[in-house]
Amino acid sequence: MGLLLLLHAFVAVCVLAYRRSIGRAAWLVVLVGPLAALLWAAFRAPSILGGETYVESIDWVPSLDLSLMFRVDGYALLFLFVIATAAIPIFLFSRKYFSSDARVANFAGTMVLFGGSMIGLVTSDHLLSVFVFWELTTITSYLLIGFDDHKASARSAALHAAIVTGAGGLAMLGGFVLLAEVSGSYLISEIVAAPPEASTPVTVAWVLILVGAATKSAQVPFHAWLPGAMAAPTPASAFLHSATMVKAGIFLVGRLAPAAVASTGWWQPTIITIGFATMALGGWRALRQYDLKLLLAYGTVSQLGFMFLLTGAGTPELLFGGLALLAAHALFKAALFLLVGAIDHEAKTRDIRRLSGLRTSMPGVFWTGVAAALSMAAVPLTIGFAAKEAAFDALVGYSSAAILIAALASVLTVAYTGRFLTGAFGSHDPGQEPAGSSAATPRNWLLWAPLSLTAVAGILGVFPGLLFPFVDTAVETVTGVAKAGKLVLWPGWVPALAWSTASLGLGMLLSWRPTALGAATDALGRVTSRLPTAEGTFRKGIPALLTFADRSSGLIQNGSLPAYLATILLVAVIGPSVAIAADVPPITRPTSGTILEWTLGILIVGFAVSLVFVRRRFAVVILLGGVGFGIAGLYAVLGGPDLSLTQLLVETLVVALFAFVLRHLPAVFARPATARAPRLVVASLVGLFVFVGGLIANSTRSGSAVSETYLREAQPEAAGSNVVNVILVDFRAFDTLGELTVLVAATLGAAGLIVPILRGRRAAR
Amino acid sequence: MMKQRTSPILEAGIVTVSGPLLAFSLYLLLAGHNQPGGGFAGGLVAGTTVLLAWSAGGPQVVRRVLPVRSTVLMGAGLILAVLVGFAAALPGLSFLESGYLELSVPLVGEVKLVSALLFDVGVYLVIVGITLGLIRSLGEERSDPSMETEQ
Repeated sequence: MGLLLLLHAFVAVCVLAYRRSIGRAAWLVVLVGPLAALLWAAFRAPSILGGETYVESIDWVPSLDLSLMFRVDGYALLFLFVIATAAIPIFLFSRKYFSSDARVANFAGTMVLFGGSMIGLVTSDHLLSVFVFWELTTITSYLLIGFDDHKASARSAALHAAIVTGAGGLAMLGGFVLLAEVSGSYLISEIVAAPPEASTPVTVAWVLILVGAATKSAQVPFHAWLPGAMAAPTPASAFLHSATMVKAGIFLVGRLAPAAVASTGWWQPTIITIGFATMALGGWRALRQYDLKLLLAYGTVSQLGFMFLLTGAGTPELLFGGLALLAAHALFKAALFLLVGAIDHEAKTRDIRRLSGLRTSMPGVFWTGVAAALSMAAVPLTIGFAAKEAAFDALVGYSSAAILIAALASVLTVAYTGRFLTGAFGSHDPGQEPAGSSAATPRNWLLWAPLSLTAVAGILGVFPGLLFPFVDTAVETVTGVAKAGKLVLWPGWVPALAWSTASLGLGMLLSWRPTALGAATDALGRVTSRLPTAEGTFRKGIPALLTFADRSSGLIQNGSLPAYLATILLVAVIGPSVAIAADVPPITRPTSGTILEWTLGILIVGFAVSLVFVRRRFAVVILLGGVGFGIAGLYAVLGGPDLSLTQLLVETLVVALFAFVLRHLPAVFARPATARAPRLVVASLVGLFVFVGGLIANSTRSGSAVSETYLREAQPEAAGSNVVNVILVDFRAFDTLGELTVLVAATLGAAGLIVPILRGRRAAR
Repeated sequence: MMKQRTSPILEAGIVTVSGPLLAFSLYLLLAGHNQPGGGFAGGLVAGTTVLLAWSAGGPQVVRRVLPVRSTVLMGAGLILAVLVGFAAALPGLSFLESGYLELSVPLVGEVKLVSALLFDVGVYLVIVGITLGLIRSLGEERSDPSMETEQ
């Protein structure tokens, strides 16, 4: 599994590295990724369907208990198949959809990176690696939506999607950490096996995780980014925003729902409310679109809502219906997106008011579209029907209110499917200018990919038993219940059939009378247009946030060095002082020193005090040097010849280097612009704090001094009797290495800054 | 910077002294594991020598005393320190963990070879490089603005 992900990354890097020369052939190269994934899944499928779990663990930071844990069970396998099956035709479609230039290779590389991230996401068992892959899909999605980066609309749509899903991802990370801390494990398998008891942190954790899942799967009220994401080129919309990425939230709630239901009381009703709200809103908005792609996007929102509540509710029967629907949806919705891409490519428009006569000019597209759309509307003999029957069957058993709402929302699904078909392929009023009628029949390549997806859907529709073992094993690995539902060609005379027939009939009736439907939606639309929309709220919210950020950073980063210094110093002084004041420890009086120590001490204090009154720069440097030499003397007296030696040498060098610098500065300090009193207060506080803090630190030792260990271990451990040196080069060698690096960087930086100034390059240019 | 007025006597004296000073810095480096000294102190002594050389006659004298570029010293030192760290992995120790060999050399007697000494050499090189680099860049004269316009 690790190798499979590496392969994706490698392929992407290859394509990106040779993007100038590779052109459209990039799509054939990146095809390696999903092909390998499909082979892997097919190779492992028999054993995983047999109930085994493929586990792979790669140690990452063992000391932090971080590892890449991959766990492919039936549930992950289903998603793996969905990802790979959707990717292959979409990549092949893209090869012909784009013209050949270097940016296409960028696009292809990002697509395969996304595919790899998605595979990592569904196979990870460690919550943190789930989060990492989750964010990788957010980033790649941002790049893909914003592919037409010369268009402001594409950029803002990409940003919208990234902000919403990124914020959701952060919320989810918080939820993950809380959940893991409470339950004591970061592994999903262990959390699900032993869900944490209900408590406030657990509730917060589940809320945050739900927010993350809902943003990613475009649930109300976060759904608005998904229609916006239609600014992406069609292959990205088909792959990310219908087949895979938006299913990540569904994946997550499905995986965690049993644990969430076990440790909260509100999870199930909440998720069902969100799901139905999304389903109804998406279906309603789809009915009012003129852009075919937006119509499909809102349809996706609607379907996602349905899947969200089915998989997230945590009962085996609903989960079964949800997963069946998910597999079916990935097939027919990706196919429909690609068909819209083909129409757009040939007719140069996706507006149903301008498209006309495509039924005769593009018969292949028409028939494929009809087949896929019938699956979307869940007409019998399609996989959509079999899946929806399973879902309805479960809902009938769940509650009568649920099935009623689901059936009503499905009426909308059927109605917007009708709108899609009549809009894309019907003939329109002769007064309007038809755009599509002149389009040439698309060449086979544009049809090949959606046709193959539809064909797979068709085969599964006639033989739904082929899909059954995958869905069944997935449900069983999550909930432990086998045969929670059934996928059949004809369900028999069950209540669910009545519901679905009713919604199908009502929906078809609505599509049959488009004018009546149009009048009704318009009337309702006039009312609802006054309500705040998610898009509008987002668009108003962002400038407000930016203004806030602008003002707050203007306040904090005001550019005044005295203010910065005062802030830093005061925080450093006040924080510990408050803690000390709460519990003043007894202060032991230090031992009185020898005459020599007293002399050196007075000397140092004298140098330091006179520093304050001196105004000539060079005198300041000399006095500072005096302080340093005095301290070196103290080291020597107290028995630290090494420290003393080093201090002496450093002071000598520093005074000399100061002398170099001072040649270029005025001889006397300028009178500072800020008032004297505040600076005096800050300086005195810092001085007092260091003095008292030193006394306290010296008298409240609780553990044994680290120096004792060093003194004891220096000879046996490091074969050296100079402990100072042993500390530098052995015990704390890593610190020394870090300091060396910093020193080198600082020296190079200083040289880079100073030399050009001294050589007067700036003056010359 | 060409017209620094220094006495030839001072220059000759400092050049003469610099050899023993550099040797002393090496002694500090090698003795450091058991006696006062070490790579850091040794490097600073060598740096002070460079400073003396500079005060005697600027960059030319520095070049006579220590004919190496500062970046070479710094880079070599860092690379050596990191290599020593990784070399610890060969006998199965963790990064930068030190090991030592006890050898009995004829005439000299027992000698302990500590791998940390090599790390200390890296420290020494970096410190010398830093002082050399700082002295070179800070000591550079501000060039005459009238000359700049001709560039």
